[in-house]
Amino acid sequence: MSNDVVVDIKGLAKHFGDRVVFDNVSLAVHKSEVVAIIGPSGVGKSTLIRCVNHLHPFNAGTIDVLGYHLQGDVAPSKPMLRELRSRVGMVFQTFNLFPHLTVLDNIILGPIEVKRLPRAQVTERAMDLLAMMGLQQRAQMYPKRLSGGEQQRVAICRALAMEPEIMLFDEPTSMLDPELVGEVLEAIRRLAKQGMTMLLVTHEMMFAKDVADTVVVMADHTVAERGPARQVLESPQTERARAFLRRVLNPGLSSDGARRQRGGV
Amino acid sequence: MIALWRQYLPQFFQGVGVTLELTALSLLVALLFGFLLALARLSGWRGLVLGATVYTEVIRAIPVLVLLFLAYYSLAQAGIKLSGMTAAVVTLGGFYATLYGEIFRGAILGVDRGQSEAALALGMNRRTVMRKIVLPQAFFTILPPATNQLSNLIKDTSLVFTVGVTDLMFQAYAASSATFQPMDMLLLAGIVYFVFYLVLSKFLTRWELNVQRRRG
Ligand SMILES: Nc1ncnc2c1ncn2[C@@H]1O[C@H](COP(=O)(O)OP(=O)(O)OP(=O)(O)O)[C@@H](O)[C@H]1O
Ligand SMILES: [Mg+2]
Repeated sequence: MSNDVVVDIKGLAKHFGDRVVFDNVSLAVHKSEVVAIIGPSGVGKSTLIRCVNHLHPFNAGTIDVLGYHLQGDVAPSKPMLRELRSRVGMVFQTFNLFPHLTVLDNIILGPIEVKRLPRAQVTERAMDLLAMMGLQQRAQMYPKRLSGGEQQRVAICRALAMEPEIMLFDEPTSMLDPELVGEVLEAIRRLAKQGMTMLLVTHEMMFAKDVADTVVVMADHTVAERGPARQVLESPQTERARAFLRRVLNPGLSSDGARRQRGGV
Repeated sequence: MIALWRQYLPQFFQGVGVTLELTALSLLVALLFGFLLALARLSGWRGLVLGATVYTEVIRAIPVLVLLFLAYYSLAQAGIKLSGMTAAVVTLGGFYATLYGEIFRGAILGVDRGQSEAALALGMNRRTVMRKIVLPQAFFTILPPATNQLSNLIKDTSLVFTVGVTDLMFQAYAASSATFQPMDMLLLAGIVYFVFYLVLSKFLTRWELNVQRRRG
């Protein structure tokens, strides 16, 4: 972690119609910092990281990403936005691989279309990335034929092929069967070790504690608490963060968990 | 009956040629214009959306024959003289554009949002997203109803004999007037229209299957 702030969110507000998702969210992310964002469902975690690459426009506040300035209720220039996005990778909960393209073509499309790099060069890099994930054998297959864990690792390759400086992950493992979660987390952990700056929405508390430098707890339309991962997860300072963590760490004690147990799951 | 058919075969072939040409040109206009209508309705730009929507709703509600006469006779009265063939292509193209436009629009909207989001997140512009991601996936939704409309288009080309285009229907009609055997001649025309459609739809279905198999 260094002192350069690469994502600087200030006073961010987002609503859909009358519905306020969050209000006055501020968050600075430093180069090589891994920030895990946790919080109850529907609190706006996905919405927050989608504001960073402006997949969602927002209503107020500012975000500075790698020197690009985004402002609430102002449409950014299209060339600037494309440049920003080409330097910020995103991995989705539902993978969103392109089903009509092979694994390899999924990975090289961005660099070819956006960065105008020669196919041969991009293919070489794509094969290296696939090899890193242990997926060389899958290069010519269509995504449909791959397991969920493999698809998500391909999605990570697709984002990395653009050589991004920041990676955004939106619950990358929550759609996976439990036995496939590990391989994806391992890939993310490796990225963290290599010094990638990451914003990661996750429900995997152990992973967050282990890999993240900083944990952000969102609750009640805002950031309830942020701090060093271990500190926030082990001894949260605010009541809202404590309440949330109590629920996720001891699901058996909450009404939610009790219901689940009665349901026999 | 066979002898009679043989006698009129040359004219029939000529008519078939005209019908083919008319179908191809009208289809081309319908596809291109239909695509533009779909893009206009999806553009989110008020004037375009309104214009394309009004055009679509009005034109598709009017019988093709009425449109054809409007294009051929009424425009001529207004000083715009179109040949029968041009009026036919404009009418069929303009009418079927509304149907193809709706097919395209529905198929484009049917592609999962996550697909364009993933492409936009890589930094692609909207045109590339449309060309490389959305349209190839919309293709399979488009193909079956588009084939369907093509069969309707082929059949509707038979209306153009009313403005003097010497298509298959025109020849069948002329031959039946000359021979006083309308049943036989129209039957032959009917068979030719059917064979047209059969060949085309078989070809399109085979194509669809091939691509689908490739994507495994
Ligand atoms: N396109 C939209 N239109 C209207 N409301 C939306 C839209 N997208 C999200 N919302 C609402 O915004 C709120 C925040 O959604 P978001 O997906 O960011 O939550 P989340 O914290 O990521 O939840 P989860 O853990 O379930 O993924 C939710 O209440 C959701 O219903
Ligand atoms: Mg979410």
